[in-house]
Amino acid sequence: MAQKISLARDSLQAHEPAHRLSRIRRQGYQRWRLLRSYFSLAWLYEKRWFFIAMLAGFAFMNMPTPPGLSHEGQIVLAMSLVATILFVTEPVPLPTVPLLIIVGQVVLLKLDPNKVAQSLMSDSVLFILGSLMLAVAIVKQRLDKRIAWLIVRLTGTNLFWISFGITTVCGILAAFVGEHTVAAMMLPVGVTLISLTSNDPKKVRNVAAVLLFSISYGCSIAGIATPSGGARNAIIINYWQQFYYNPADPATWRFLVDYIDWMWYAFPMFLLRLPLVTFLLFLTFKPETTDLSRAVARLRTQIERDGPLKPSDYQAIFLFFIVILGWVFWSGTLGLGTVAIAGATVFLVAGLVRWEDINSGVNWGVVLLYAAAVSLGVEMKATGAAEWLANSMLAMLSQFGAAQGLGLWASMSVLTIAVSNTMTAGAAVAVLGPVVLNTATVAGDDPLTLGFITAISSAFGYLTAAAQPAFTIIYASGYLKANDFLRIGWKMMLLSFILLLMLATFYWPLIAR
Amino acid sequence: MFNFFRRTQLSDRQERAVERTLQQIRAQRRARFRILACIDGTDESYEAVRMAARLAPTDDCDIIVLYVRPTDQGLWSGGLQVKLARQNMLEAGFDLPGIRDLKRALDVLKEEGIDAESWPTEIGHQDAWDAAGDNKVEYKSPKGRNVVLKLKTSPDIASGILDQYELGPYNLMILGEPSRWRGNFKAVFGSGIVQQVTMLSPCSALVAREGSAKKRGFFICTDGTSRSMQAVRRSAVLAQAVGEPITLFSVATSEAGRGAAEENVENARALLKAIGIKAAEIRVSIGKPASEIIAAGSDYRIIVVTDEGRSTWQRLLRGSVAYDVVRGARTCVLDVR
Repeated sequence: MAQKISLARDSLQAHEPAHRLSRIRRQGYQRWRLLRSYFSLAWLYEKRWFFIAMLAGFAFMNMPTPPGLSHEGQIVLAMSLVATILFVTEPVPLPTVPLLIIVGQVVLLKLDPNKVAQSLMSDSVLFILGSLMLAVAIVKQRLDKRIAWLIVRLTGTNLFWISFGITTVCGILAAFVGEHTVAAMMLPVGVTLISLTSNDPKKVRNVAAVLLFSISYGCSIAGIATPSGGARNAIIINYWQQFYYNPADPATWRFLVDYIDWMWYAFPMFLLRLPLVTFLLFLTFKPETTDLSRAVARLRTQIERDGPLKPSDYQAIFLFFIVILGWVFWSGTLGLGTVAIAGATVFLVAGLVRWEDINSGVNWGVVLLYAAAVSLGVEMKATGAAEWLANSMLAMLSQFGAAQGLGLWASMSVLTIAVSNTMTAGAAVAVLGPVVLNTATVAGDDPLTLGFITAISSAFGYLTAAAQPAFTIIYASGYLKANDFLRIGWKMMLLSFILLLMLATFYWPLIAR
Repeated sequence: MFNFFRRTQLSDRQERAVERTLQQIRAQRRARFRILACIDGTDESYEAVRMAARLAPTDDCDIIVLYVRPTDQGLWSGGLQVKLARQNMLEAGFDLPGIRDLKRALDVLKEEGIDAESWPTEIGHQDAWDAAGDNKVEYKSPKGRNVVLKLKTSPDIASGILDQYELGPYNLMILGEPSRWRGNFKAVFGSGIVQQVTMLSPCSALVAREGSAKKRGFFICTDGTSRSMQAVRRSAVLAQAVGEPITLFSVATSEAGRGAAEENVENARALLKAIGIKAAEIRVSIGKPASEIIAAGSDYRIIVVTDEGRSTWQRLLRGSVAYDVVRGARTCVLDVR
């Protein structure tokens, strides 16, 4: 009897999943089962933050209007509260939040739909749009190995110097074209070096961490160095111009911050942290080996096999430098956004990138997100909500003696760091910008100083993989664990915070305009 | 207008042919003992692969090793789609996350005596949620045995594993030891991947734990119901096939129930004897079923429990011995459906 037994027939059964539900096919049946398991309380629980946000917004909107705040201002604050909760907790896809903001502005604030639509587009939003398109165009050129080889030729085969070289080169590139572009472009280089060092990733886990974090920190610390380094910079420049610049009043011309002005203020912050990143990485991760000669030899072989640079590569490098020169010299008159859009257009015209690649490589939801966040920020200022919030915040800070000077700067920096660790930096600056700038005005401080502090602090979200675009990209390689970000992140955050305050205290007064 | 409501643009005859082919494939698969081993790259998850190799002793057994990769999404990457970075990596000749782990699973199978790498291969790709899609490598031995390495992408890992069942079907799903297993109340609001898959799996599920390799024997529990007797018979067939001794076990909640418990194990023994399988040992215990099973069964390689087929709400109100055992045992647990 035992010999006749068949495992498939007599042992555990493979039940027919679609037996009684033949019309609901393969995926449908299982999804239905999963949905059924979520249904009722579990679904509500999963979406709980959406309902909590809506209830909190509704409650805030309907409570008695505080003295000094207009009803419209109260509505804008309620919308900001809802948006912030949704940004942080993400119960719905993030592009849903800007859609809600747009609907809220028309339905709750009773604004003219055309004006709301107009408020969504500005030079900073065009810049975000253009720089994302440029990012795809640049990443598609596949110049990563050449850049890696250039680094290695300068640094030799020791991991410490390679790490320093990667951080420096990534930093210099990211300062001009945005951190996400450089991270996406350089990720294969990091992985090449890791995989050429050892076939077993577990044996070189710390080497992998040092190399990949060199890329991401290089990108991250440089993202604030120039206006084109990130959306947050363009947004705060836009706020200064919208809130303070008056062509008829020469005293306000200083709020028209151009490319070079920004670099005078923020570039030193990148330079100061550059040498410290590699030290921190080595202290935190203690790599298993520091000799990468095997990997470098193989990299050299790969470069030789690829042959010399092609004409299209030279074309791409040339256009890349033209765009940077455009930003440096013409952004004052043409605007950052126009230069970025022009750059993307030239790449398309030259046939260096296909529209299909741009279309699939850009997450258009992000453009919508920034557009709506900036629009909400402008509304905060227009309705007086930002000023009321600034007054309330100053009243609270004055109890701790932090209503002016260094105390105020430190408080604003901490607030921005806290917010940017929980949401994307551009959105954090878009929401906080009007409040911080108004706080500066009310406290008699310089809006330029506090604006720079906010923009730069928003790049200090180092604690999670989702806090920075460059982090998310290197995390996608699968070589890092989530808690690696925390291990190095808190040290980097503390160091950056102290350096920023030192810069604001000792250096910025020397170059004040 | 009428065509708008059709599911397919094929003619009825072509549609019937497609259906027939699908049915044939399913029938062929159902004639084999198919094990789905799910891995996530942790050392615990390779126990699942090791166990799959041990529970698939003959050439009519197939092993499918599955790695589910969460879909790339780009909003947190500053507007640049993560898939662009992924594409860049693929073009540079790098593996997707998960491929390394699947290769390691192949090494684990080799250690267990299944050298699939030397067999002829077939490679398959299917567009799925992101650019990289679903990929698989199928190794076919000359004797007809299949080992499949599958890299699947899904927005949610548990749902990805359950989707894979639909492409089966499978006789057994094996998962590594979970890092957490929520209680019945908390499970209503959400649970970990292993727990979710174990609860929703249409076929029997085995949670593999480290250290069970040193132990021996199937510890098969019964409460005398026809459902549990079925489970006893089916798991005993598996135990016989892999050459493991069988211990039959029943728990009485009080001294008064001892007689009934003894009768349960005797009935189970007789049932097995009728199909030519010998139980090495029978045991009876008094106390709370789940804790008694865990205490007595943890010295065996696999504890076999019968799934009560209760929904989340029923488990919340009435509890479930099967899940309590899966949660608390210090050895592998097979939840038979």
